Amino acid sequence: MIIIGERINGMFNDIGEAIKNEDPEPIQEWAVKQVEAGADYLDANVGPAVEDSPEVMKWLVEVIQDEVDAPVALDTTNVDAIEAGLEVHEGSAMINSTTAQPEKMESILPLVAEYDANVIGLAMDKSGVPKDAETRTAKAMEIIANADARGIPMENLFIDPLILPVNVAQDHAPEVLETIQRVKKLADPAPNTVLGLSNVSQNCNNMKLINRTFLVMAMAVGLDSVIAEANDEDLIDAVATAEIVLNNDVYCDSFLNQFRKK
Amino acid sequence: MGLSSLEIYKKLPQTNCGDCGHPTCMAFAMQLAEDKASLDECPDVSDEAREALAAAAAPPITDITIGVGDYERTLGEETEIFRHDKTFFNETGVAISVSDAADAEAIEERVEQIDQLTFERVGQVIEVDMVAVTNDSDDAASFKEAVEIVADNTDRILILVSEDVEAVENALEVVADRNPLIYAATEDNYEEMTEVAKENECPLAVKGEDLNSLAELAEKVKDLDYENLVIDSGARNASQVLADQTVIRRKCINDKFRPFAFPTITFASGETPAQEIAQASTYIAKYAGIVVLSETVELSEMLPVLTVRQNIYNDPRVPVTVEPNQVNEIGEPDEKSPVIITTNFSLTYYSVEGEIPSDAYIIPIDTDGTSLLTAWAADKFGGKKIAEIVNEETDIGDRVDHNKLTISGHVAVISGKLEEESGWDVVVGPREASGLTNFIANRWEDELEA
Repeated sequence: MIIIGERINGMFNDIGEAIKNEDPEPIQEWAVKQVEAGADYLDANVGPAVEDSPEVMKWLVEVIQDEVDAPVALDTTNVDAIEAGLEVHEGSAMINSTTAQPEKMESILPLVAEYDANVIGLAMDKSGVPKDAETRTAKAMEIIANADARGIPMENLFIDPLILPVNVAQDHAPEVLETIQRVKKLADPAPNTVLGLSNVSQNCNNMKLINRTFLVMAMAVGLDSVIAEANDEDLIDAVATAEIVLNNDVYCDSFLNQFRKK
Repeated sequence: MGLSSLEIYKKLPQTNCGDCGHPTCMAFAMQLAEDKASLDECPDVSDEAREALAAAAAPPITDITIGVGDYERTLGEETEIFRHDKTFFNETGVAISVSDAADAEAIEERVEQIDQLTFERVGQVIEVDMVAVTNDSDDAASFKEAVEIVADNTDRILILVSEDVEAVENALEVVADRNPLIYAATEDNYEEMTEVAKENECPLAVKGEDLNSLAELAEKVKDLDYENLVIDSGARNASQVLADQTVIRRKCINDKFRPFAFPTITFASGETPAQEIAQASTYIAKYAGIVVLSETVELSEMLPVLTVRQNIYNDPRVPVTVEPNQVNEIGEPDEKSPVIITTNFSLTYYSVEGEIPSDAYIIPIDTDGTSLLTAWAADKFGGKKIAEIVNEETDIGDRVDHNKLTISGHVAVISGKLEEESGWDVVVGPREASGLTNFIANRWEDELEA
């Protein structure tokens, strides 16, 4: 399970402030904390506090990678900001994200190929989030075919079937689970699948319980990766346990610790 | 259909004409992958696409039948890269070569020696199953003669090793009905050799210079409409054989690469029996359909090779068991030695056997190969059942002059019932087998007198 830590996001006050003041400390603190908790990638999103510019993204990537070895998921809709991030990034970055919209793919996928980056592909286009699994899968297929045509290997592609909050869009969750199953069969080797997990529980009660329950269910149908709160101990415990039950990791008595050390 | 949507889509014309009833070629590909549409619905589909789709439905490695009668066997049809993922299905054929350059008497003697390479191990017969006659004389008549002598002296499967089409043709006059493997079609002789194999309906080995030339040659032979094939990358050096065998198996399973979709033949090239045995064992573990040895004919040398094969091809999904419901002697037990009851799960049995410091009897009870506590929980290790087996299926009562059965402390709870049903006294031994040394040294004397 590839965990993409969601915490370095300007939406959170401490990060927003830090970006505004160009103070690397809170960002680096969260980078370390998330990696120690088991995060494989660190999502970096400038947030609403400052303008989403190439300079800020570049600064964010440098600040993070000065402190930890983990790759960064460049979370922005600004293509120039993505490219600026890629230029300074060490190792294989992740781009968050493209949709199946042709002009969007046209601008993002060449960067993915050029920088040997990973990319999250949202299973939607300009008409919004599809309601059923079939349409989600069709959108995913468009991204897959496009990426393949550009020589992007499937393991660099992370299809996000787009989960919506269960309190207002309850009927989407089962469709998302079905989409994950279908997407894993679209190509061989299969693309990765990813979820923006926190979405499932927005404005719900028992958010963390909903998050980890859904995550385990999604893992059972083939989810490879998740954007989530890496410092939610119970969540990571649930992931580690699911890996054991799915026979992805070899069982040992200290499996909860071993998972975090990987 | 076996192919993913993406693979199918790439083979479709991508005209998006909609004549198939689906809005786009991509949508059609997705329906095809789920078996919800037929390729015939597309008006512009190419022959190449048809072939690819048909190939994807075929098993990754073809099954080839070789030999006849008792020795007839299937090679290939494997689906795994690692045996623990499921199992390896068709055992590697083990062949020993006989040279046609030797005189008739020497050939006969060697074949007799090979014919004795049959062993019984853990209740199964394991044996060298093939003889490879090699045309070292370069003479068609001597080859035919040698093949005839070999065929007269053994029923084992024959491999005709000669690149000389005439020699093979002559030899087949006498042994074609034994369904031997013809070795080999090469770049130089493949057209005629394939013709001969076809006429006689015998499996044919295709030998390349390396993996690339092998793939090309296999395709050429397939174009001649013959697919009863075994393949050889030509490698003889052990590390290259290992690499080639691995690439061949992976290309078949992971990429459905059809030119390699056949069982392989490998040759141990070591100069001493020890080297040959090490090579043969490696090739058996690493996907060889057939392994040919030339130096090794001694019983003591072949037993380990055949044991490796038996173990590698053992189905890991089925628990390994020992022969149950019989008295096994450890050391030289006498009428005062302890009688230890355990299960026939090999892990359990050998844990017990390995811990016994001196002379004792062990009786493994048939629990379908499950461990002590598993068997007890599943009602396969109860007092009544053990009593019946001990009293009715073994002669342990005649072998000892005491009346004590020792069971593990883990199943102390069955001792009452076992005593009642069997008429033996039950001694509750240590819970773990590691306690047996101490038990026999310090407690058994007292128990015996009690």
